[in-house]
Amino acid sequence: MMAEGARAAGASGDAGLRPPAPPYKAAADRHDEAVDATGRVRTHWERLAGWLAEAGPPVIDAIASELGRLRDESGIAFTARTVAAPGAVDPLPVVLSASDWATLERGLAQRARLAEAVIADLYGPRCTIREGLLPPGVVFGSDAFAAHAAGWEKPPERFTLVFEADVARGADGRWMILADRLDAPLGDGWLIANRIATSQAIAEPFIDCGARRIASHFARFQDLLDSLTGWEGRLALLTGGERDPRYFSHAYLARYLNATLVEPADLTVRDGAAFVKTLDGLKKVDVLLRGVPDRRIDALHRPRSAAPGAPALTVAARAGGLVMGNAIGTAAMAYRALAPYAHRLCERLLGEPLEIPDAPCLWLGDPAARAQVLEELPFWRIEPLTGGASPDAAPLLPEDPSAMTGAERDRLAVALERVGERFAAVATPPLATTPAWCANGLEPREWMMRVFASWAGESWSVAPGGVAATVEPGCPPPALGFGKDVWVLPDPGSAAKDEAASLLAARLAGGHLRRTGRELLSRVADEVFWLGRNAERAESVLRILNVCLQRYLSGNRIDADPAALTTLLSVHAREDDRAPAPARLRETLVRLIGDPDEPEGLAPTLAHLRSGAARARLSISEESWRYIDRLCADPRWRGRLDFRASGEIARLIEDALRSLAAFAGSAQENLTRNFAWRFLEMGRRIERGSQIARIVGRIAGRERENEESFLRALLTYSDSAAAYRARYMMVPTPAAVMDLLILDETNPRSLGFQLAQLEQVLSMLPSETPYRRPEHRRALALLTEVRLTEADAVAATDANGARPALGALMSRCRSELAEVSDTLARAYFAHAEAPVALMSQGRLGETP
Amino acid sequence: MIYDVTHRTVYDYVESAAFSQHLLRLTPRDTNGQRVLSSRISLDPRPDEIVLERDMFGNLAHAATVSRPHGRFEIVAISRVERQSPSAFIFEASSPWEDVRAIATGAAAGPVPDDVAPFAFPTALTTANEEIEDWARDCFAPGRPVLAAAAALSARIHAEFDYVPGATAADTLPAESFAARRGVCQDFAHVMLAALRARRLPARYVSGYLRTIPPAGQPRLAGADASHAWVAVWDPALDWVEFDPTNNMIPGEDHITLAWGRDYSDVSPVSGIVVGAGAQSLHVGVDVMPAGG
Repeated sequence: MMAEGARAAGASGDAGLRPPAPPYKAAADRHDEAVDATGRVRTHWERLAGWLAEAGPPVIDAIASELGRLRDESGIAFTARTVAAPGAVDPLPVVLSASDWATLERGLAQRARLAEAVIADLYGPRCTIREGLLPPGVVFGSDAFAAHAAGWEKPPERFTLVFEADVARGADGRWMILADRLDAPLGDGWLIANRIATSQAIAEPFIDCGARRIASHFARFQDLLDSLTGWEGRLALLTGGERDPRYFSHAYLARYLNATLVEPADLTVRDGAAFVKTLDGLKKVDVLLRGVPDRRIDALHRPRSAAPGAPALTVAARAGGLVMGNAIGTAAMAYRALAPYAHRLCERLLGEPLEIPDAPCLWLGDPAARAQVLEELPFWRIEPLTGGASPDAAPLLPEDPSAMTGAERDRLAVALERVGERFAAVATPPLATTPAWCANGLEPREWMMRVFASWAGESWSVAPGGVAATVEPGCPPPALGFGKDVWVLPDPGSAAKDEAASLLAARLAGGHLRRTGRELLSRVADEVFWLGRNAERAESVLRILNVCLQRYLSGNRIDADPAALTTLLSVHAREDDRAPAPARLRETLVRLIGDPDEPEGLAPTLAHLRSGAARARLSISEESWRYIDRLCADPRWRGRLDFRASGEIARLIEDALRSLAAFAGSAQENLTRNFAWRFLEMGRRIERGSQIARIVGRIAGRERENEESFLRALLTYSDSAAAYRARYMMVPTPAAVMDLLILDETNPRSLGFQLAQLEQVLSMLPSETPYRRPEHRRALALLTEVRLTEADAVAATDANGARPALGALMSRCRSELAEVSDTLARAYFAHAEAPVALMSQGRLGETP
Repeated sequence: MIYDVTHRTVYDYVESAAFSQHLLRLTPRDTNGQRVLSSRISLDPRPDEIVLERDMFGNLAHAATVSRPHGRFEIVAISRVERQSPSAFIFEASSPWEDVRAIATGAAAGPVPDDVAPFAFPTALTTANEEIEDWARDCFAPGRPVLAAAAALSARIHAEFDYVPGATAADTLPAESFAARRGVCQDFAHVMLAALRARRLPARYVSGYLRTIPPAGQPRLAGADASHAWVAVWDPALDWVEFDPTNNMIPGEDHITLAWGRDYSDVSPVSGIVVGAGAQSLHVGVDVMPAGG
């Protein structure tokens, strides 16, 4: 940084004594945040500039990589994937002076008031349409207008509780609005996470600058939410789920605001109110922060575009039983719908001049605008008016407008005439620059930022800060993510202090702690249950593979007999009798490990395991997730399986088993014994029990040649060889092995142990009656049956060498465990099932 | 003329449904030529909850919730409606279509009719393609009165389209039924709306019933005793005037109006969601009987 004004330690003001500073040169004819037209560092940048000069490039580079690491960490902590963009991180914040911020803050609060006024009018009296302030096509020309939210006897008290905008400064330094984010904004999670990461990585100048804290803004929002929910009420945040690109922000914000994070299928509407489905039944939601776009909500009123789930939310909102932030219908004014007519709307509805103008924007429902835009291509970008993806946008968006042929232009003209109302022509003029840390040091770059506001009861509160990004000239606002932090300096004349305490800590100290976890969402119980089952299923496949590979490598004539090994593998692999034994063994091994189409193969099993763990991510511990992720993402799975290197494969399988053991241990040690743990445990026990029953039935169901070798394989599969040796010190006999693997409840790998454990966990589930629940009775009956069985009886063979008692008991165990699983699902997860649309009717002459 | 209309809908589920929610637009509304004398809806099983909502177009809808297990759901709507013959319109006396467009899109001087404007723009189910626009061009000679143009469109649809039940579905787009030149009343109404709204002329989708009198030796009017759909077109002086492109007629004594909206999805008589029902089957029966007859 050009060090004029920079106060380096020990510098006496003499230019010659200043430490070497990263040089910085901004264009003279364009506003730059850090330096003025003469190249002097602006007063509010002096401290940061001084620190940069002192730190020098190596320290800045180190901070950049530290910041990248912090971002990765917070991304991984909340979602299953990395959310930070790869590549070099620019750690430099944008610093704004108190007066710059005051202008912006006033303008944003006005913008939010304007949006609320326009939306309330559109869904109510429609003066703006009647008086010609807003052309009807802006509103009714696209499906963003929610007809089912219009004309209510008692409209919502407010349509907007949150408001975000993309803003930038022009080359002259004046603010402009690039986009209004009114439909499901809730990007605040990024603001908080970004601030936390930046203030940790670059702590010294952050504290030194005295940048305003954002916590007090969220405290105001929290106060409002508390007043809306009431003392006993519930706040929920609706997200599209793990696949939603905004999921990170939703999960982060939900935790910050102590809101229940729900997906559409978690919600149901009864008696004019909305409820979340929990294990403990339906729980009323009083305030719903909406992170799912308008169009995707309420399958009852929007059957064409809504996602399954959350039907009839409009009924609850209309009955007054549910406050939504933002209400259904706000999409109608989202993105650029307000922009072309903001000036006159502001003057008419608020009686004040518009404080911050919009970046150039023309509504293409206007024939004159269409003509102008066609004339001035490629200056303009053509975008859906209310944002989002629009299916009919594709033909309107030329890759490179400057290279359009005459025929393409004509087609564009025709298309615009047909659906012009749904589009806006927008342009990003030259913007102000800010210092960016690049490969070559400090460089001036155009920048824009997302800013965040929320209703605070009587006025709008704007978070002092934002998420900024440096951009290429002329480009649209980027998708929200981590970015440059924005530091707003306090007004030196004002004594007002932002409260520094972090909201998260304050909330944890408050009275909101719940211990039972009884309110586990039905969907989450379902996910955790299947995570348990999938982990066991993966383990069973890995164990069979492990037994076979170890034997294959041992070279022992009997143990490594290809036919015997193929029999073992056939427990999980589809049988293929065509090939001769040795080739068939290799083929089966390869198929079981790598073939995605092998139903019980390792590839689909691990894929299920990982996606299930990702979904249940917030219910299991961080460490547990990492074990699963490490196991499933191991690059060695993707390599070619070469049996000349079967030792490598055996090592890979062993590593995988170790990761699964670590996952199991971590889940045991780190999960509180609440409902999530219980469902995970039941999933594990049911799956392990049925796998044992299946394998024992399959392998020991009849007497075999080399029986001893097969019995040893069973002991190795169930990790019970050492226990057997310790107990019997002799070659395996059927009755002793059956006792250890089926009946012995002290052996954690035995069937009896699984049943006893399952029964115990089932006895801890809530029951409305004094009697045991059906699935509990079933498990108890099965456990009792196994307890009353004798080892000699199951080991007994008939005249054909079969073990009928064993076969019958094992297949009963399997079918009963499957029943327990289904009954559990019906009792606890049925809520979580997604609704489907009813067939439509009313078509003339098509009475079925 | 007084009619008793019975509209019976039965959903049968293969498995026991745990929960269902239904939106029923089965209550006829009063119009210029129609008076609703009585209307009731009975549901079996009885819903746990029923909410009556009036939408922005003035239609009545019942939102019903059943939260007990049920294997079937039966909806019977019985209404008594008095229908008058419509007054005759002189189509040539309506405004030039360009003027109507200017008023509806806010391009003309004076207040914008904010209750008419929502009907002037294409919706997903009423968006025309180039073929539909070219095909309809003949009907819209410059300066032609809007209702004369609408009558011509209705006549062309009737003449050129085949009435083929089962050829289209509830969400068939006008471009598809137009390309095949066939469909049912809903498709004809959507094609006509698409052609009108391509020019930003306000037009409604009207849902209702058609009573048929099969005279000896003559074919029954298509749509006998079933749900029916037609179109209403707006003129600033004459207000909304109805056209039935399926039968190329001006709806009159035999058309009973249930509801109107921008397209089928605004007014589908019975829709909803169900949880855990497995496969479903649907049976619908409509009877339109002159009262006392």
